[in-house]
Amino acid sequence: MTVEFKDVSKVFDDGTLAIDRLNLSFELGEFIVLLGPSGSGKTTACRILAGLEVPSAGRVYVDGRDITDLPPRDRGMSMVFQNYALYAHRTVYQNIAYPLRVRGTDKSKIDALVRATAKMLDIERLLDRRPRQLSGGEAQRVAVARALVWKPKICLMDEPLSNLDALLRLQTRTELKRLHNELRTTFVFVTHDQEEAMTLGTRIAVLNHGRIVQFDTPRRIYRNPATRFVAEFIGRPAMNTIEGEVHDGVFHAGEIRIAVEGQPDGPVVLGVRPEQLALDKPGATAGVPFTADVVEHVEPDTLIFLKNGDVSLVLRALYDVEGIEAGDQVRVRFAPETLRFFDLETGDRRP
Amino acid sequence: MKQSWRIAAFAAVIAVLVIALLPYVWIILTSFKTRVDALSDTPIWLFTPTFKHYPTVFLDKGYLPLVWNSAIVAVSTTVLSLVIGAPAAYIFARHNFKAKEDLFFFFLTTRMAPPISIVVPLFLLFTEIGIIDKLIAVIIAHTSFNLSLVVWMMRGFFADIPREVDEAAQMDGLSRVGMFIRVLVPVAAPGLAASAILCFMLSWNEFLYAFILVAFEGRTLTVGIPGLITPHGTLWGQVAAVAVIATLPIIVFTTLVQRHLVRGLTFGAVKG
Repeated sequence: MTVEFKDVSKVFDDGTLAIDRLNLSFELGEFIVLLGPSGSGKTTACRILAGLEVPSAGRVYVDGRDITDLPPRDRGMSMVFQNYALYAHRTVYQNIAYPLRVRGTDKSKIDALVRATAKMLDIERLLDRRPRQLSGGEAQRVAVARALVWKPKICLMDEPLSNLDALLRLQTRTELKRLHNELRTTFVFVTHDQEEAMTLGTRIAVLNHGRIVQFDTPRRIYRNPATRFVAEFIGRPAMNTIEGEVHDGVFHAGEIRIAVEGQPDGPVVLGVRPEQLALDKPGATAGVPFTADVVEHVEPDTLIFLKNGDVSLVLRALYDVEGIEAGDQVRVRFAPETLRFFDLETGDRRP
Repeated sequence: MKQSWRIAAFAAVIAVLVIALLPYVWIILTSFKTRVDALSDTPIWLFTPTFKHYPTVFLDKGYLPLVWNSAIVAVSTTVLSLVIGAPAAYIFARHNFKAKEDLFFFFLTTRMAPPISIVVPLFLLFTEIGIIDKLIAVIIAHTSFNLSLVVWMMRGFFADIPREVDEAAQMDGLSRVGMFIRVLVPVAAPGLAASAILCFMLSWNEFLYAFILVAFEGRTLTVGIPGLITPHGTLWGQVAAVAVIATLPIIVFTTLVQRHLVRGLTFGAVKG
């Protein structure tokens, strides 16, 4: 059971290339996140899968069957929209029941399914209300209920959490994770929020300029970003990247010297995660000297923004570093196994 | 200060109501006046009512079928204008195509020429295709000018409905046509009601096209009224009786859809 995009491109009427020869395949049952900045084509990809957008080139397959020309109603998929898109003239109950009614489900079954789904999403008490009487979080739950009630093969979600406030976002995120674990329905979730992607996805497809840059598990994407773009997009704060040059196994950038064995000479971008940088004990002479520029206590962590000439880094200390203040001189250790290297020209990761 | 404003506003409302309703009250009273009372130099408010005008004009003179004709024309025109105009308005609201705004403007140009300038060619055309003196001729003529109204009004209503509602309906299992009929029409109901009232009123009250295009059996109420202007003088009592009956459907229809009309005319002003 697989979904497959094969060389899918989409050019809009105004000439924008939204998706550029996209290839992607995943198993049913996964929680796939399409992640990217705005304009990366993630929403377009999702809408092509839904059948709401017709690709300019390429085909889409589900289980080997070409669904490219099928209308949305014949694809066995449902969708949750960012602005909920509930039917304003119907009650919550009728909204949730609607896809069942349209699909000709037995009346007796409809009631049971609607109530079970409402229970699962904890919105039973809202069933008689109208959409305009709901808060954003409630409306989104109703939209999710409507999308899941008829047990579609795939549930598509286009930035479903973006209109919710911060706390509600976290709660709903957890809720979605739980729903996926319980239902094992395939979710395709579009977001620009890397944190949402990291917490929800079984696999994440990172998109940029209409192309998939990396498609992998959250952990591997975090640890081994395929390109400089992914490195700088994933993680909060993102991976530090320093442009410099390698000479005889030593990385040079301004005053900075870091031993990088096995790297060929020439220009390169060095990447390292903020939490993998280590502060040396006061008085130590090893490590690279930096000046603490700003110190932020994001309890329980501490973020230290470091400077050395033109090079800026952020270091995330997972332990207490109370002693350090802005302006202090510190020494930073770069552990060789935590360093990643990217091509300066293409941004691709070097081995 | 606030109190005096309220009184001033109240007085203004009363004044407008008096100005608006006085002619109507006058017509109602006239429909119950004898010829002598109706033509009196000074308006008479207290008089012995006569009830003969209504039966005379509607039964003896056979004006009752004219009510029916007017109803057929107005209802058909309204239905036809909405059935054709609403989907067209939806396309204008949702889709982009070449010369879209030009075409949209073109709809309005159909109302720019004075109706009298179109009525002669229309008469010749309808004679040629053999529908002159039939209700269908009036219905087509009325639909032609109501269509632009519906398209112009409904485009805004459909544009105000989030596109995602269309898409949610399609994801929920509806075809494009099904989505339009089962989801968008109910959501746009206030707008459709407002458009329907205007279509109905314009068609029901229309005189010129109806007068030129039908002469005998197909006459509508408005066309019937000049028949009461006789060489022996105007039969004011009967004219008033016809006028009173002619206003009733509008009052009933408007009352029925008033709730939607108010929502319809303020649609978009208040976010739901």
